Amino acid sequence: MGLLRYTAFRVVQAIPVLIGITVITFILANLAPGDPVRLMLQGQEVDQEVIERVERQYGLDRPLHERYVTYMVNLLQGDLGHSIHRDRPVTDLLIQRAGPTLLLVISAYAFALVTAIPLGIIAATRRNEPTDHVSRIVALIGVSTPSFWIGIMLILIFAIQLGWLPSSGLVYPWRSPEHYGYSGYLELAFQTIRHLLLPMVALGTLQMATLMRVERTQMIESLQGEYVKLARAYGVPERTILRKHAFQVAQLPIITIVGLNLSTALGGAVLIEYVFNINGIGRLFLEAIQSLDYQLIMGITIVIGTMFVIGVIITDISYAYIDPRVTYGDRD
Amino acid sequence: MSAEPLLRVEDLKTQFFTDAGTVRAVDGISFEVYEGEIVGLVGESGAGKSVASMSLLRLIESPGEIVGGEITYKGETIFGLEEGPDGELREREDMLTNEEVRTRIRGNEIAVIFQDPMESLNPVFTVGSQLREFIELNRDLSNGAARQEAIDMLREVGIPDPEERYEEYPHQFSGGMRQRVLIAMALACEPSLIIADEPTTALDVTVEGQIIDLVDELQQKYDTSFIWVTHDMGVVAEICDRVNVMYLGEIVEQAPVDELFYDTKHPYTDALLDSMPRPDRTVEELDPITGVMPEAISPPSGCRFHPRCPDAREACKRIHPENREVARAEGYPHRAACIKHDVFGSDYEESAPLENGAGADQQLPASAVDSTSTSTSTSTSGESERTDGGEHDE
Repeated sequence: MGLLRYTAFRVVQAIPVLIGITVITFILANLAPGDPVRLMLQGQEVDQEVIERVERQYGLDRPLHERYVTYMVNLLQGDLGHSIHRDRPVTDLLIQRAGPTLLLVISAYAFALVTAIPLGIIAATRRNEPTDHVSRIVALIGVSTPSFWIGIMLILIFAIQLGWLPSSGLVYPWRSPEHYGYSGYLELAFQTIRHLLLPMVALGTLQMATLMRVERTQMIESLQGEYVKLARAYGVPERTILRKHAFQVAQLPIITIVGLNLSTALGGAVLIEYVFNINGIGRLFLEAIQSLDYQLIMGITIVIGTMFVIGVIITDISYAYIDPRVTYGDRD
Repeated sequence: MSAEPLLRVEDLKTQFFTDAGTVRAVDGISFEVYEGEIVGLVGESGAGKSVASMSLLRLIESPGEIVGGEITYKGETIFGLEEGPDGELREREDMLTNEEVRTRIRGNEIAVIFQDPMESLNPVFTVGSQLREFIELNRDLSNGAARQEAIDMLREVGIPDPEERYEEYPHQFSGGMRQRVLIAMALACEPSLIIADEPTTALDVTVEGQIIDLVDELQQKYDTSFIWVTHDMGVVAEICDRVNVMYLGEIVEQAPVDELFYDTKHPYTDALLDSMPRPDRTVEELDPITGVMPEAISPPSGCRFHPRCPDAREACKRIHPENREVARAEGYPHRAACIKHDVFGSDYEESAPLENGAGADQQLPASAVDSTSTSTSTSTSGESERTDGGEHDE
């Protein structure tokens, strides 16, 4: 099987998973306590007749399985329903809020990878030296500290005490400079980075710490490999061994972890968006839960679930691409 | 032989500094390799064979270190110490730097074939690219020429369809084929000396035979010298010209291969030969060497083999013999490190035999207990003794 067919195969395989996600989400959302219509009325006394009319209007009077089928038919057309609370289509809300979240998660991962890989390699090559011990302590703190706390501490230090960086909001690079009243694209880029820096570090620290430890372990193992011994015996320079021979083998688990940790990162984004007042999907999610906006909760859960499935598929495919030993489900 | 040896190793000492103490993995070995010959380095696991061979390339990793001796290759000093003005030992001025060893010795002068063909190739690069990388590094060939040379070499070691196989990954090769690739790597760099570190141990016997034949054939064609590290006396008999037998970091016997087999001078070599099945000698049962090799961290006093030696006497506990010439054959010295030989002038003859010495012989039939113990569950010991006797009669 070629890589292309393998990709198609994995996508098809993901369909039952996605259906499962929608079923579970749908059932859970409908089992949750609280009546959405009454909640929408916010305690106002109205006739039973009015309530029934509203329920009919949103199809809430029909049995669960019928509502699920309707929901799925709409979903396939890109319609995730209507947010009762906000009186807007869920799809519109999600599209509007996806940008900031993606910007945050991608930059957090970029930060984690750019720092973790070199630091992990350095720790591996200076095993049990002071550098390694420092990196171990940093990683331990990074793994065991909640991201929102890191976020709050960063705000306290860099925004409030030092006043170097803004404490809330993001500047979106896809908007025009005029929108923010900046002089040009250079300032837009500068401000984007300035605003992104603290939330990015807050969200990326956990990923960085995890990846750094994995990178270290993998590099140590890889550097002890027989193929490294062989390369040394044939006079390959040490830096080539590090950069090429040992490095390439060591990266395989990193890809897996990046893919699988996507869920952790998205979960972390919910809190970070809240702490930094960023209007992303995470914050929307919290607001939706607080207001029992079922349509919105379901919509977001399905989108995040889908993103996770896509992450896993991308992991698998890139694994197959990088590691020649991975067969595409069959043997040639 | 009067010609200068290709490689001369003198009193080489390599030690590992561990928390538990200093491990004297290689403890003062000396040997030579002449042009075009295959020299065996034989011994049990842990005897220091691999450490010795890696020391030749100065590829000893921390906590290990070469602490003494001299390695001379084609007149260049791979390792050598001298006494400084302050009385401390320091590296000699003519000793090659790390960079020089890497660029001038490793690969292009001395190449290696490792034991485990499954692990020695990098799983994420094609076989061809790995071979080509080593060729480019060690020979002055352009990109295209190196590729062609790699393909030619794969063909030379008997890999069918080398053009297609060039693009394949190690996991697509069998163990024997991978070992051929490793041999191709070694030969492709056109070295004068190849260290083969147990190259056939991980292979099954039929493939082992093929690989040995291949090396034998290519060795004659390219006239490359070999150091063949192995624990297998059968392989030694088949391929080596001269042999060094190692025990606990020392060379205890050194002789041309026929001499070693037919005029064995060291009890350890004797024991090794007795523990090996041989078609020319029918024995009732093989004689394993009793006991296990002690740790190199605290070697026994005197002769290191004395606790396991059937010929050991009181004097062996006191005297630590160096490897001395006890005979001469084919122009090469036959050296052995055993004080029972007259050249040592020791009081071996007068001293009392040790328990394990004469006693061991008595215990050997008792080792038949081992073979009967499996049947004792169903039969009495008397019966199994009779069965044993019956076998002896045949």
